[in-house]
Amino acid sequence: MSRADKIRDAFARSHGAHWHPTDAYSRAVWLGVGLVVGGLFLHQVEMVLFGVPLVLSVLLTSKPTGTPTVSVRPVPRGAGAGVVHTVAHVDGADAEIAVIKLPGGPAAVPAHSPDLPVEIRRDAWGPGVDLRLDHLFAGPDGMHVYGPIVGTEHVRTILPPVEHHPSGPLPPRPAGLVGIHRSPRAGDSTELRDIRAFQPGDRLKRIDWRVTTRTGTVHVRERHAEADAEIVLAVDTRTDVGANVADWASPYYGATTRPGGSLDRAVRRAASMAAGYLRQGDRVALMDLSRPQLNVRSGVGRRHLMRIRTQLVVCVQAAGWASRVALRKLPHGSVVVLLSPFLDDEIAELAVQTRKHGHVVLAINTLPLPLRPDPEAPWGEVAAEMIAAEHRLRLKRMSRHGVAVTPEC
Amino acid sequence: MRLAIVLAAVPVALILHLESDSIAPLIIVTVLTAITALMPGSAGAALLIGYAAVAMAFADGHPLRLGVLLMIPALHLIHVTAALAAVVPVKTRIEPAALKAPARRFAIVQAISFAVAGIAAFVPSGPNIGLVELLGLGALTVVIAVVALRI
Repeated sequence: MSRADKIRDAFARSHGAHWHPTDAYSRAVWLGVGLVVGGLFLHQVEMVLFGVPLVLSVLLTSKPTGTPTVSVRPVPRGAGAGVVHTVAHVDGADAEIAVIKLPGGPAAVPAHSPDLPVEIRRDAWGPGVDLRLDHLFAGPDGMHVYGPIVGTEHVRTILPPVEHHPSGPLPPRPAGLVGIHRSPRAGDSTELRDIRAFQPGDRLKRIDWRVTTRTGTVHVRERHAEADAEIVLAVDTRTDVGANVADWASPYYGATTRPGGSLDRAVRRAASMAAGYLRQGDRVALMDLSRPQLNVRSGVGRRHLMRIRTQLVVCVQAAGWASRVALRKLPHGSVVVLLSPFLDDEIAELAVQTRKHGHVVLAINTLPLPLRPDPEAPWGEVAAEMIAAEHRLRLKRMSRHGVAVTPEC
Repeated sequence: MRLAIVLAAVPVALILHLESDSIAPLIIVTVLTAITALMPGSAGAALLIGYAAVAMAFADGHPLRLGVLLMIPALHLIHVTAALAAVVPVKTRIEPAALKAPARRFAIVQAISFAVAGIAAFVPSGPNIGLVELLGLGALTVVIAVVALRI
């Protein structure tokens, strides 16, 4: 065994999940015996008397055995934000003191104490670590320790919260079978959708003779499709910005998204809208504008809502700048809800093009307004005003092209 | 727990200061106490106990004077508090129940130590104590053997 291996081995033996002596043990043995022996040979009673307690502390204690453990009662993984309570069970074996790193700060407790209450705070939605109880067990007088042990991580994913918005008066319908919103595309149902001029390709049986004789040109009756509306929630995850312009270039630590930022608002709004539409029986799909592989196909029901909320967390985890945005494989005649801070022209162009393709587009601005300029930058106010002006123009342009725009989220 | 180290070291510093003509012991004990309080797992505690023991042993006066009798629990307390402080992180909430067993053991050790001091008070001193020295060496051999077996 080389010298480096010996040092490594000695270091490993002084740490980890087994009982090993501490410096206090070495001190008690060598200093205690040294004082007693030195006192006897030098005829100094005082040295013997000072050494006796150290020797006795070694003789009265023994090296603990057994495997002490700290276990935690599982915490529900899907529970929402707030305070969650659980307990930590301490099995001390032969240990005397357990030092446990609890969420409120480390605590030294008797190794055979009853279950310890543990309070877990869940402040933000998203993935994270609930609890990790690092611990160490000490034997009598701290002369032997077991650990320190890195505790098992209890991870959880808090889904984005759903705010229930009151819906307007709705006609009676077979709940769970039929949506309340009809698909805007034309089809073969019996309900009239529009009367328009004849176009090549129209069936002759659809000609409305009464209107045709009255107007002098051939008109056809267009009917609705036998389908519910398809809602596509398109989330722009490329940027996560707050009202404070100075923070735009710096990352945010401590949560998956910037609290109150554009991405946080977009995800919360998307989850709430998905819940609202699905409750009404409509089909809802989710699209990540920059990462189409994360899209969720349209579906209905409560389980689909869970799928969308879970996928929103996945989208946010993968969030980051992408050069291109796209809405791929849009169902014909769907209602597209575009949630974005609209900070670049490409996203506005995408909204306009989608509208031109015949979809109903609702653009929801998630940029927190008004913007707060960077007080330290000499051109901070001008830059913030420029950004806000460009943003207003973008929203106006979309509105001019038939996109329904909500300026505030 | 680090405050307890300092509190235990205060009587040690005072006794050494009163028994010495210079301020050097006070400074040395203060420095060693600061090292022990800041790094309880270091050799500071051993140096503090060792220095105080040697300084008291080679000072003038009766071997069982009041300073020595006060120093016995103080040095042991420094050892115990440093040992516990080394395993407890700073700003740890310590439940009093966790200190019950160490306190009980401290009392037992001190009772035995003072019993030994009582015996030492009756041991004859002088040039003709060959038998006593023989007994002492025999007891020391037994103690070393027991400690070696425990290691």
